[in-house]
Amino acid sequence: MFFHIQLERNMQLHPRHFGPHLRDKLVAKLMKDVEGTCSGRHGFVVAITGVDDIGKGLIREGTGFVTFPVKYQCVVFRPFKGEILEAVVTMVNKMGFFAEAGPVQIFVSNHLIPDDMEFQSGDVPNYTTSDGSVKIQKECEVRLKIIGTRVDATEIFCIGTIKDDFLGVTSDPGAAA
Amino acid sequence: MARGRRDDDEEEFDEEEEEEDLEEEEEEEYGGKGRKKRGRSDFIDDAAVEDDEEDEEDEDDDDDEDFGGSRKKKKKKKKMKGSEFIDFEAEVDTDEEEEEDEDAEDDFIDDGRGADLGEEEVGRRPHRPTTFLTEDQEDVEEMERQVYERYAKSSHVEYGEEATEVEQQALLPSVKDPKLWMVKCAIGHERETAICLMQKYIDRPELQIRSAIALDHLKNYIYVEADKEAHVKEACKGLRNIFNSAKVMLVPIKEMTDVLSVESKIVDLARDTWVRMKLGIYKGDLAKVVDVDNVRQKVTVKLIPRIDLQNLAAKLEGRDVGRKKAFVPPPRFFNIDEAREMHIRVERRRDRDSGEYFETVDNMMFKDGFLYKTVSMKSISSQSIQPTFDELEKFRKPGDDADGDMASLSTLFVNRKKGHFMKGDAVVVVRGDLKNLMGWVEKVEEENVHIRPKMEGLPKTLAFNEKELCKYFKPGDHVKVVSGVQEGATGMVVKVEGHVLIILSDTTKEDIRVFADNVVESSEVTTGITRIGDYELHDLVLLDNMSFGVIIRVENDAFQVLKGVPDRPEVTLVKLREIKSKIERRSNAQDRSRNMVSTKDIVRVLEGPCKGKQGPVEHIHRGILFIYDRHHLEHAGFICVKAQSCIVVGGSHRNREKPGLNTLNSKLENLKSPFRDSPERPPRGPAGRFGGGFRGGRGHDPLVGRTIKIRSGPLKGYRGRVKEVTGILVRVELDSQMKVVTVNKNDIADGAVPSTPFRETARYGMGSETPMHPSRTPLHPYQTPMRDPGATPIHDGMRTPMVNRAWAPMSPPRDNWEDGNPGSWGASPQYQPGTPTARPYEAPTPGSGWANTPGGNYSDSGITREGSPLYGSAVSPYLPSTPGIQPMTPSSASYLPGTPGGQPMTPGNMGLDMMSPAIGGEGEGNWVMPDILVNIIRPAEYPHIGVVREVTMDGSCRVALGSMGDDEVVTVLQGELEPVRPKKSDIIKITSGGQRGLTGKLIGIDGNDGIVKLDDTYEVKILEMSSLAKLAAL
Repeated sequence: MFFHIQLERNMQLHPRHFGPHLRDKLVAKLMKDVEGTCSGRHGFVVAITGVDDIGKGLIREGTGFVTFPVKYQCVVFRPFKGEILEAVVTMVNKMGFFAEAGPVQIFVSNHLIPDDMEFQSGDVPNYTTSDGSVKIQKECEVRLKIIGTRVDATEIFCIGTIKDDFLGVTSDPGAAA
Repeated sequence: MARGRRDDDEEEFDEEEEEEDLEEEEEEEYGGKGRKKRGRSDFIDDAAVEDDEEDEEDEDDDDDEDFGGSRKKKKKKKKMKGSEFIDFEAEVDTDEEEEEDEDAEDDFIDDGRGADLGEEEVGRRPHRPTTFLTEDQEDVEEMERQVYERYAKSSHVEYGEEATEVEQQALLPSVKDPKLWMVKCAIGHERETAICLMQKYIDRPELQIRSAIALDHLKNYIYVEADKEAHVKEACKGLRNIFNSAKVMLVPIKEMTDVLSVESKIVDLARDTWVRMKLGIYKGDLAKVVDVDNVRQKVTVKLIPRIDLQNLAAKLEGRDVGRKKAFVPPPRFFNIDEAREMHIRVERRRDRDSGEYFETVDNMMFKDGFLYKTVSMKSISSQSIQPTFDELEKFRKPGDDADGDMASLSTLFVNRKKGHFMKGDAVVVVRGDLKNLMGWVEKVEEENVHIRPKMEGLPKTLAFNEKELCKYFKPGDHVKVVSGVQEGATGMVVKVEGHVLIILSDTTKEDIRVFADNVVESSEVTTGITRIGDYELHDLVLLDNMSFGVIIRVENDAFQVLKGVPDRPEVTLVKLREIKSKIERRSNAQDRSRNMVSTKDIVRVLEGPCKGKQGPVEHIHRGILFIYDRHHLEHAGFICVKAQSCIVVGGSHRNREKPGLNTLNSKLENLKSPFRDSPERPPRGPAGRFGGGFRGGRGHDPLVGRTIKIRSGPLKGYRGRVKEVTGILVRVELDSQMKVVTVNKNDIADGAVPSTPFRETARYGMGSETPMHPSRTPLHPYQTPMRDPGATPIHDGMRTPMVNRAWAPMSPPRDNWEDGNPGSWGASPQYQPGTPTARPYEAPTPGSGWANTPGGNYSDSGITREGSPLYGSAVSPYLPSTPGIQPMTPSSASYLPGTPGGQPMTPGNMGLDMMSPAIGGEGEGNWVMPDILVNIIRPAEYPHIGVVREVTMDGSCRVALGSMGDDEVVTVLQGELEPVRPKKSDIIKITSGGQRGLTGKLIGIDGNDGIVKLDDTYEVKILEMSSLAKLAAL
């Protein structure tokens, strides 16, 4: 789920950046530092939409770096248990398949793939129904439900299922080709 | 256990009978009578009394002997009848009291009973028939009475008020009671010995022992109850199972009860429990109990047969099978068809007891491939059996459902640790009426667990036995395995199958099957252990044999290491001691395009088995990269590749700049890298090295492509690019005239200035890459500053000169300008190598490559750089020029906007000023130039003298105080500066006009004019004094 929230961060700025463009520097650095990161509480920071406030800088003794408290608005993405997501399959193996929804990696175990789908190894490993009508392979888009999340320092890992109504492949560029 | 009696019992018995008749009439007075009798002999009395009673009851008291057997039966039945029984009981009750009083005398029967009533009950039954059989009628009679007596007593005990603790205590043996002796006998003949003793007593009633006991669990010994050791010895004499020499040991009174107390340890062998075989070829094998025969102490178990069919076939055919082999056939399901093929007769029989059909081969019963074997209870162990998953899996046959699992559960539950359930655990009821009810643990009391049921409408908490509950997890729960093979692993529950969970391990991304019981919910993420000693998962380690690798898995006492062997993944298992050290040194490597690769850079594998993989570099060692690709499932995601077969993502193919992706730092690194790692670049002339770097690769004369200056001859001073070298002649394309001329090789000079330090820096060769763009040249210069003075500005230098140009509208004029003053600055003394001042001067030439500058000046500098290509030469001299422009570049701004005075040294500016006539006008006001001496005039301050070091964009200057410029550097506004008027013979700098920036010597002053001899050209000029500034003596 996406959220637009305000976050705060203490930015350390090298003294060489002091000058007329300090603010720009700070914002640029903020973006570089923050966008794409992940925190357990808020999830992935997708984009910074605005800087609300830059507080007074505090010079750090010894280094000359200056710490600015910066408040910024950003869009974050955090997956939740039970959330339905659409994701792109990135890898298929006999244990299941991995899919990505933006920065989030989701694993769908073969236990959570409908029983009528079987793993087919080969050049393009895939899961196929017995009648061959549905095929899950790399690059497919699937709609899945997250049943568990694990939050690390740098990533959020999810386990999903497609063993439910209205879940499964939504489009398959591979099949069309 | 056998009970003996004194023979006088029997003898007196007859007398008793007579008496009986007499006494019959006075039955009411039974009690009193009894008492009377007891005076004589307790026992006799007692028996007699009872007999009387019997007779009355039976109503056929004529002849005991006749009735013997039948009567006994009737009597017994009647005895059990309520009312009479109670009557009787009351009477006996009194007896008993007295009996106990008199115990001390000699009533051993009662005594024995008193001590161990319960035991007696248990023990007596099996022996009763024997006694009856061996005794004659009279004996029967007596036994009858005995039986009565005993039942009466026991029933009394049973039905009476609950025996209090004290009463129980009273029953314990005391010093007055006969003692228990332990006698050694032949092993395995304990029971037999006991019976012999019993028989002996019957045959020879004079023996003074009271009982003999054989215990099942005690081998090699029997107990004999007697008052004296001598009695025991006497009784044992002559028994073949008791050794004469055998010592008779006294059992301490305190331990007497223990000897006969029934062990409460009941082996709970229920159906469906898991057991292990203790003996034979199945030793250690897991088996499942299918039937228990407690009477015969036999158990029928289900096993996976270990049968060598060939051997079996041979045996059945009567062939010699040979001696028993050491080889134990592996467990395998029995396949009838297979057996038939081997001509083994398989019969199908119905089991008598269970009514099930079994395939029978050679007296072995099979069903569904399992072997059903009936074994003694002693040959199996049922304690703390923890079947492993594999074993259970084997036992699972298709079609088995969760019920089968439930069975294994029962065993598992036994092995639960204490404190298995904790408050808050989600549990599910697995047995009983409330099966499948879910809830949460509220409270745990010993074996009872109170749970809060999930379902509404139920009481707030329900208590369950621990064994009825099982932990429950939902898919998606993050759990940690706390026991079993997978102990320590964590993962997310993917599927729940009964009490078995399928977990996706966090680290290996593999499925693990575990029992729900072995798991707790946890947010922790581990693979189990992640470190042994100093080494941790994912460390790069040096191994014994000087090979190295990354630890990809930590096992109990060893590491799995992915070795640093490219091409194919090689994993070895190493012990802690086989690891020499951890490699922590951070090194770099070069990718295929000679981009610098350092750890954390993202690279893509271009060739080899892992082609196409991509990920951050985790370790680098000896040109081998360990890349972590989270999509790579093997080897914990690590890929080992040669640095040469990778490319840095975002790096250019020929260039080491990584736009955007990297931090400033890495950029720097990249920039620097070429020095270290472009071995490809052949060192050329000391001066000519830079610039043409890559072009040198063409294999031509190194001169080709270089920018040179013509030093002598009619075309002296022209610059151009070497097109071709033929022997001593060089064809040069003149930059200014668009024509190619041929000159003598000796007449040309590399365009570079001898200021080597710069040149070194300039080596970057970046500019050289695009000879097309004159603008490139400035690049180099940028670098220079980075090296020495400016430090920070360097980066900007790296930036595309194009931009600079585009942004600095003035740059084009440069060329013109140069055209305009070809010689002028060539003459300036600042060219001398090593003078920092020189740099700024060199600067103005950025465009010079194009400019039609006559090369004279350059030649003057005296450097013959044969090899330097066009650009190289162009570059070097100008190095400094660019810095001037730099500030204008937006890019630079973005990079070091804050640097005060960073790059400001605006030689460029000046140059520009000079070039553009328009600006030239302004030049007046903008007289401040580096290296001139100035007075700093600040209000309320004494004027200081200083040397201008740099002029920044915003018009302020950095001025080093002191006439030599060797004091501290301050930043001042131009308005606060005043040039120091030069005096005669001073070295000056021209600050305005056409010759701005040139240096010379003031050879004379004429009023407002100064006579200046320019350093470069030795021309003498007359200039306004106001346009001259004194140079700092450096």
